[in-house]
Amino acid sequence: MGDFLHTFFDVHEMWSVLPELLGEGLRNTLLIAALAIVFGLAFGMLLAVLLLSKRRLVRLPARIYVDVFRGLPAIVTVSLVGLGLPAAHLRPFGRSPLGYAVLAVGLISAAYCAEIFRSGIQSVPPGQVQAGRSLGLSYLKTMRLVVVPQGIRNVLPALTGQFIVDVKESSLVYLLGLAVGQRELYFIAQEHQAASYNSSSLVAAGLCYLVITIPLTYLVNWLDRRMRTGRPRVAAPAPAVPAGEKTEVSA
Amino acid sequence: MTAATRGTTGTAGEPLISVRGLTKSYGTVEVLRGVDFDVAPSEVVCVIGPSGSGKSTMLKCINLLDAPTGGEISVSGVTLTDPKVDVDAVRARIGMVFQHFNLFPHKSVRANVTLALRHVRRLGRAEADALADEQLDRLGLAHLAEQRPANLSGGQQQRVAIARALAMRPEVMLFDEATSALDPELVKGVLAVMRDLASSGMTMLVVTHEIGFAREVADRVLFMDGGVIAEQGPAREVLERPRTERLRAFLSQVL
Repeated sequence: MGDFLHTFFDVHEMWSVLPELLGEGLRNTLLIAALAIVFGLAFGMLLAVLLLSKRRLVRLPARIYVDVFRGLPAIVTVSLVGLGLPAAHLRPFGRSPLGYAVLAVGLISAAYCAEIFRSGIQSVPPGQVQAGRSLGLSYLKTMRLVVVPQGIRNVLPALTGQFIVDVKESSLVYLLGLAVGQRELYFIAQEHQAASYNSSSLVAAGLCYLVITIPLTYLVNWLDRRMRTGRPRVAAPAPAVPAGEKTEVSA
Repeated sequence: MTAATRGTTGTAGEPLISVRGLTKSYGTVEVLRGVDFDVAPSEVVCVIGPSGSGKSTMLKCINLLDAPTGGEISVSGVTLTDPKVDVDAVRARIGMVFQHFNLFPHKSVRANVTLALRHVRRLGRAEADALADEQLDRLGLAHLAEQRPANLSGGQQQRVAIARALAMRPEVMLFDEATSALDPELVKGVLAVMRDLASSGMTMLVVTHEIGFAREVADRVLFMDGGVIAEQGPAREVLERPRTERLRAFLSQVL
């Protein structure tokens, strides 16, 4: 039992790794994850629109992309992007592994986001499109103003799940080798673990991940509630009984 | 307002809506098998008929929410079925009210009304808000402007939907079974709005099961059955002295 506590919960070990985790690791993990999420959301939305196209030739490339990037293990994609691209002298991010990590995680995230958005858009009743179009809104405006805002709301929980996956997958950047200053949570913890044969630094890193992912869930839930009920301006709902059914019209 | 709008479009005697040889098929199912009729300016035409007769499909073909398979549709002189026509521009002048209201649930009542004013007619926020509030006030809905549709009764929601359509100053209003989804006690309020609208001179094409409303308000009644207009004429004539056996049978079922 003492061995167990010593291996996983050595306070000294945790304490010594904490400054690096919080100073350098947390920042880089959040940076990779946040940029990958933004990329994934934007590219995923584009893919979703393509997936919903009536034209087969538009749908097909998006379909293939989504199937490929959802089907590959993340570690393969990160390696292909982060090790493969520079080896082929394609270096959009120079020698910084962080850029390649963002791209790789973002590409994967986009594939999942595309399917999430697609299902969200399809969950909006067709009557909403009809109402928008009947008022003279173009197809794109109807999507942007009517369908997408409702669709996103319907898939917020699924998106949260994807954000959490993105945060976790940011750790795969360790494959690319990181210099001091570039290291994220897992890389730092793993270095300490290799040096001391003690896993407490990994536990500390794990706690840092939870500090990101668990509040994220509650943040999105809060957003969800807020969007559902509307901004709490005049919160009191009106009486359901129409006030005297005043129906004078002079249109 | 309607008279003024109308003065700028079409000359007297020309129909506001003209439908010729309209057909619609879903795959091998023929829903509309050749529909012809006109609606004159300020005329109120009610469309009745059993469910599945194609009346809702016919209505949705008028503003091309359902693409016609064949035939020609003109609204105030513009041939909508011509592929070169900007359909969005024409739709902006055709108000439509749906059976299930189809209000935008993520927007307040006021924002439901202003959405097209701002993004189709490109009015500024202040101007759009003012027009919306004016329209809501006319329908006795001003006190609900800040509410979300979900907080409203069905009757209130449908009247908001009517306000949303009217705010665009349409030349014609299409009603697709506007009261069919309402609780009986809420039907009256919506019908009253429609009646007032009719007496204000609005051109209306109304698909309805409310035979009483048709008799009282409509200038003309079309009876649809099996994808065609089986009988038509002045409201009283058609409803009180049906010529066909099919209409007689239908009326005896609904009355």
